[in-house]
Amino acid sequence: MRIFRGLALGASMLALISACSAGGGAANNPTVKIGSDGFYEAKVMAEIYGQALEANGYKVDRTGIGIGARKVSAPALESGQFDLKPEYIGSGLAFYTPGKQTGDPKNNQTQLQAVLKPKGITVLDYSPAADQNAFVVRKATADQYKLVKMSDLTPVAAQLKFGVATDCPTNPVCGAALKTAYGIDVTNATKLAACDTPMAQALLGKTIDVGELCSTQPDIAVNGWVVLQDDKQTQPADNLAPLVRDDLLAKLADKAAFQKILNDVSAKMDTATLTDLNKQIAVDKKDIAAVATAWLKTNGFVK
Amino acid sequence: MNFVDLTITWLTDPAHWQGSGGIPARLVEHIALSLAALAIAAVIALPAGLMVGHTRRGAGPAVGLATVGRAIPSFALMGLILPFTQAVDPALGFTVYPTLFAMAALAIPPILVNTLTGITEVDADLVEAARGMGFTQGQLLRRIEIPLALPVILGGVRSATVQVVATTTLGAILAYGGLGRFIVDGIAQRDNGQLFGGVVLVALLALVAEGSLALVQRLIARRRGVRPSPRPMAEPGEAGRGGAEAFA
Repeated sequence: MRIFRGLALGASMLALISACSAGGGAANNPTVKIGSDGFYEAKVMAEIYGQALEANGYKVDRTGIGIGARKVSAPALESGQFDLKPEYIGSGLAFYTPGKQTGDPKNNQTQLQAVLKPKGITVLDYSPAADQNAFVVRKATADQYKLVKMSDLTPVAAQLKFGVATDCPTNPVCGAALKTAYGIDVTNATKLAACDTPMAQALLGKTIDVGELCSTQPDIAVNGWVVLQDDKQTQPADNLAPLVRDDLLAKLADKAAFQKILNDVSAKMDTATLTDLNKQIAVDKKDIAAVATAWLKTNGFVK
Repeated sequence: MNFVDLTITWLTDPAHWQGSGGIPARLVEHIALSLAALAIAAVIALPAGLMVGHTRRGAGPAVGLATVGRAIPSFALMGLILPFTQAVDPALGFTVYPTLFAMAALAIPPILVNTLTGITEVDADLVEAARGMGFTQGQLLRRIEIPLALPVILGGVRSATVQVVATTTLGAILAYGGLGRFIVDGIAQRDNGQLFGGVVLVALLALVAEGSLALVQRLIARRRGVRPSPRPMAEPGEAGRGGAEAFA
């Protein structure tokens, strides 16, 4: 752990030194305009990337953070309203080429890069942190039926009440995947909005026993619920990765150092940490910027 | 394809007319919840409206309460009710009761206000005359006030019905069935045919409910036109009491 921290610190120091050695490079760099989707997880990731850049001498414009859903934020990035946006590579790919998303993050990143290249956008390294549809059970249910992974559900599916997203029946990675990979039929399942509070409420109040939530939804940690491992890999890998406009990269004094800052941050983030940050924001009502700063300090990106 | 074609294609697909998620099943669910909510509302609002209208006491607070009730968004009410009903019954307390009670609450104000208005507006001379003839309070209500106020009371039931039929669609957000399912699922699945089809079905159902209640209202009014209102007082066995035969 300590070695990790030392490495990260060293890496960011190195980035700082290399930025400075380029003749006060960072100071001559254009302002980095950051944007994001509207929900708090996207905003905190944008804030983390932004503060990490600021710590290395870059100027950051936060106007586009929280601008709105992908329908709004994707065209905004494409048209240059901002230069940098944290993206979920599975859903981002599905936005441009529906049905092409896979359970392999590497594959999703490659495909997304191919789609975005003509638009002048680079997909940086993806983070181990992912936010994807997850099937979640209460701790008591997991203990009672010895549930660890999704295949454990197959023999007991008839005894459990399922709650799925409203788009599940027609979503190939939901209804069809559950049926073919796990032999679970969710035709008559309780249908509720994806990744939203009613689904968590239904699971909490025992209306359902298995709920489709977002893997980083704070309710999971707060209630000590169990996320079932998707052992047949039916869900698309929705790892986070920063999207950056090529025209910004071209204007930077040291493009490699800039990319390294962001890649180091992404590498350090993971799903459990992201879930905890979500909890700090949504449950503990902490300020998004403060949560971002605290995480960057803990991991040695900011002093 | 434009949305008219999309809607027609969706509505005429035989696959959408069968099974537990088909249009007939959803229609039954929609009507069942609407009727149950209206029945609950009627059980509460009719007696309350009659009492307040008849005694002329508490009309201000009753109308005030109804106005407040109208101002609360149904969906907010569903959210408020849910934790309590879910604690009692995890299954129906989530998927049925919040919508049912919110719809009942939506139907109470129009029924209550129209009932007490209808009763209050009955000609005071008529009421006085009946009282003079020795009508008991119950007889007064049953034979004079209710029959005369009936078109106004039915008007309240009619507007409550239309509101409830249109708003029961909200139930789909909290996992109830009904025609709202097509709207909520249509949005989630980006299936515009299903979405517009659902909208058309809800609108049609609301129109049918509105039309049939308007017909009932007119029939009652016409019947009243043929038979003068004092007539029903002279029923066999009742004659001679309270001097009603004087009217016959």
